[in-house]
Amino acid sequence: MDALDNLLLGFSVALTPINLFWCLLGVVLGTMVGVLPGLGPAATIAMLLPLTLKMDHTTAIIALAGIFYGARYGGSTTSILLNIPGESSSVVTCLDGYQMARQGRAGPALGISAIASFVAGTIGVLGLMLVAPPLARFALRFAPPEYFALMVLGLAMVVFLAGDSMVKAILAMLVGLWLATIGTDLFTAESRFTFGQVKLLGGVDFISATVGIFAIGEVLVNLESRGGAEIFKLGKGLRNLLPTLRDLKDCRFAFLNGSIVGFLVGALPGAGATVASFLSYGLEKAFSRHPEKFGTGVIEGVAAPEGANNADASGALVPLLTLGIPGGNTTAILLGGLILWGYKPGPLLIQEHPELFWGLVASMYIGNVLLLVLNLPLVPLFAQILRLPYYVLYPLILGISIVGVYSVNNSLFDVWMMGLFGLLGYLMRKLEFPAAALILGLVLGDSLERALRQSLMMSQGDIAILVTRPISGILLFFAAVILCLPVVRAVRYWRVEAIEREG
Amino acid sequence: MKHRAMLAAIIIAGLMALSGEHAWSQEFKPSRQIEAVVHTGPGGGSDIFARAIAEMLQKEKLITQRMQVVNKSGGGSAVAMSYLAEKKGEPHTIGFFTGVWVTNPLTTKEAMVTVKDLTPIVRLVLEPAVIAVKTDSPYKNMKDFIEAAKKSPNQLRQSGGSVTGRDNLMRLLIQKATGAQWTYISFPSGGERLSNLLGGHVQMMVIEPQEAGEHIRAGNLRVIASLTEKRLASLPNVPTIKEQGIDVTIIPQARGILAPPAASKEVVQYWQSVFDRFAKSAGWKQYMEQNQFEDGYLQGPALGKFFDELTVLMRNVLKEAGAKVVR
Amino acid sequence: MNWNKGNLISALCLGAFGIYVISVAAKLAYVSEVGPGPGFFPLWLGIGLVLFGAGLAFAPRTPAGTREAGKSTISQTAGRALAGWSALMVAVALLGRIGFLLSFVVLTIFLVVVLDRRPALFAVGIGIGLAVAFQLVFVVALDVSLPKGFWGF
Repeated sequence: MDALDNLLLGFSVALTPINLFWCLLGVVLGTMVGVLPGLGPAATIAMLLPLTLKMDHTTAIIALAGIFYGARYGGSTTSILLNIPGESSSVVTCLDGYQMARQGRAGPALGISAIASFVAGTIGVLGLMLVAPPLARFALRFAPPEYFALMVLGLAMVVFLAGDSMVKAILAMLVGLWLATIGTDLFTAESRFTFGQVKLLGGVDFISATVGIFAIGEVLVNLESRGGAEIFKLGKGLRNLLPTLRDLKDCRFAFLNGSIVGFLVGALPGAGATVASFLSYGLEKAFSRHPEKFGTGVIEGVAAPEGANNADASGALVPLLTLGIPGGNTTAILLGGLILWGYKPGPLLIQEHPELFWGLVASMYIGNVLLLVLNLPLVPLFAQILRLPYYVLYPLILGISIVGVYSVNNSLFDVWMMGLFGLLGYLMRKLEFPAAALILGLVLGDSLERALRQSLMMSQGDIAILVTRPISGILLFFAAVILCLPVVRAVRYWRVEAIEREG
Repeated sequence: MKHRAMLAAIIIAGLMALSGEHAWSQEFKPSRQIEAVVHTGPGGGSDIFARAIAEMLQKEKLITQRMQVVNKSGGGSAVAMSYLAEKKGEPHTIGFFTGVWVTNPLTTKEAMVTVKDLTPIVRLVLEPAVIAVKTDSPYKNMKDFIEAAKKSPNQLRQSGGSVTGRDNLMRLLIQKATGAQWTYISFPSGGERLSNLLGGHVQMMVIEPQEAGEHIRAGNLRVIASLTEKRLASLPNVPTIKEQGIDVTIIPQARGILAPPAASKEVVQYWQSVFDRFAKSAGWKQYMEQNQFEDGYLQGPALGKFFDELTVLMRNVLKEAGAKVVR
Repeated sequence: MNWNKGNLISALCLGAFGIYVISVAAKLAYVSEVGPGPGFFPLWLGIGLVLFGAGLAFAPRTPAGTREAGKSTISQTAGRALAGWSALMVAVALLGRIGFLLSFVVLTIFLVVVLDRRPALFAVGIGIGLAVAFQLVFVVALDVSLPKGFWGF
């Protein structure tokens, strides 16, 4: 079989000592980068590009790609232990992961996150190997109306983030959507809500918002009581430090869900890991036998999004390697790297440089195994962070947040914004508004508005274009169904109340 | 009396020596890391360009210190330009400009720093553009496309970047010259522009030959015109837009180096000499060829004149396009 | 009708904010020549904020909400949190002047001494210890630049 031959070629490339070494280095560095809020894989890869010029090119891309998907592993650690997302794609992991940590189940949460990432990463690489070209062609059928429908579906996930109050979740989402409008309008070059600040012309930085709302907000909430929050109990014994077989069984669907959703969404240029993680979380909750438990520390709520953001990394490589089209920031730099090394990424890359493509694919299998082997034993070590006394932990978190946010653009303005978002995060916590809904709005707002306006430009103002195209029509239908759920629930609730009152 | 004269003589001699020292002052030599400011994020066009140049400069030992690319993205070029302006007098910071640096301040009120405020060092390349369509589309040349556009006004679509960017402005100029009308859809990332063309959702786009190169080779794209004065060496069979009878001003996309405001003569001299030698190096010539850039080497007062002319041209084109011009 | 004080305040704030957004959006073009203009989206966001804000104000009390019946949701202990936040903002303001390491030490001292009531010397020790750790990990090992003060660090 052709693919098998190619894979063997790939393994022969990937298993050379030097490639193994750089693969290991890449994934370790990626994990570290993912753990730290702020510093992202894009910037790290950019920093390391000059070093790679002296390396063999296949080795170089193995190392850089290792940083890329390694970062997805790392992002979950701080989300689970400290409620601080390492990247915006780890925001959803905070929801159930942190709750699990509070219940003394930090170990299993970290463990399932590593396992889900491994499963999804492996399935993703399988996908990359087997269906990359046809998937890339399918992804080309996505035009603005389809992207709009996808974003609406993503926003519909707010229904699943609502907790007690749907109204509050929607309000938080609206604020997030508003934050996304800050900056220069792409189509008319007019500036909106910039308050005269040059630095806001580019819009609000995700990292400032995420780190501010989650990290700073969390610390502020905990500062309220002297002695901080209860130090989390760490279960004793290996049983409590790793997921049980029961846990693994519960997550069967989540593993599949995360892998497929992540991979497919990743293959669409312009839709990122954050969308993938929200979608898979929502899907998991929708098909769960105990949806009301989500948000209180359900292990599938960690497995699904964690799987999604790993499979997304493989998915993002599909358009890059088959068409030379970068899907997002990080793949854009990988593209830049390829160009710098003298390659011309495009449809002929795989045929003309099979050792590059297949060597990379094979090394991704290896990388995923390495990451699992590295991360699982480190789980107890990471969990020890919770043992730190709060008077060390809180300054540490604040310090890391400042450094992380500053390092993105070397901008003090971003750090100020982080501070302001910290206050917002604190207030939201006190007033019981779900922060994840705000992040959802912030992340999707840009793409949503842009896709809508692009679609209407395509159809010269005819709104029917959004529903007459098959793919967008189907996605919008699903979104509508999801959005109707709370209405159905509310009607049922009123009916029950009415009956009780009369009885 | 004599003492006072002596004292005066000594003081005057001292002053002369000092000013003489100043006139003969050592040339500027950077003593720490160089910051190269770009207005895109990591992976963007300017970012990759700057990284490539930094690498070449360091490899050929044309600079003795490391050059670090600093991304200051936001508001087009506004954040990068205002950052550069803040670094007034700092010799270790330079900026990589593109055409956006000229047009952005014209359309955005908050972008208060213009190219005139910064110190021009050198222009390195002119990036040509071509008009590309899908290979299986019915348009074999500009005539086909224009006729089709005239037959169904605003039904054909072009994908491109910001509305004040070159893509759209060339479209407006061509529309005016031919009377045809077609829609423009902005996509912020080059990847999406290309994928929409390949997916058949738009009919044509303005693209750099280097970006299109691989797709042309794979047979996915066809170039129907080059937006240049002369035919491109890499695409000798593609007629220019003027050859096809459409007489429009070609808007240049230039890339080069600017320094912070009020840079001293020695600093300017240093950078000019660095890039002078750089432009002559074999590595650079190879890079230009690989990326299908046109050599646009321009320095000194000619560069200042280029900026002035470009500003006037862009202001006129933008006004014609109906964009709000604030400066 | 049971008013939940917290909900009411947030509803009023969000409603007012919504009105502000509508007012700015109204100044932008609702429709441009090629479809919805820059004012389209913000306008509807503003309307949504006002509508849902009203919904929040009149929302029925859910069972979970009766936890702190009667008590104001912004209680005394908020003072501590806000003090911590102010300290953070002061530290951020100082970042540009005295550099990250010193600002961080100052912040740590504040948190440990004022909020946790521990001895000052102890706080200084923690502050310096953490600052050194930051320097080692970020500047030396990872080559990330931290804000520098007058004296270059």
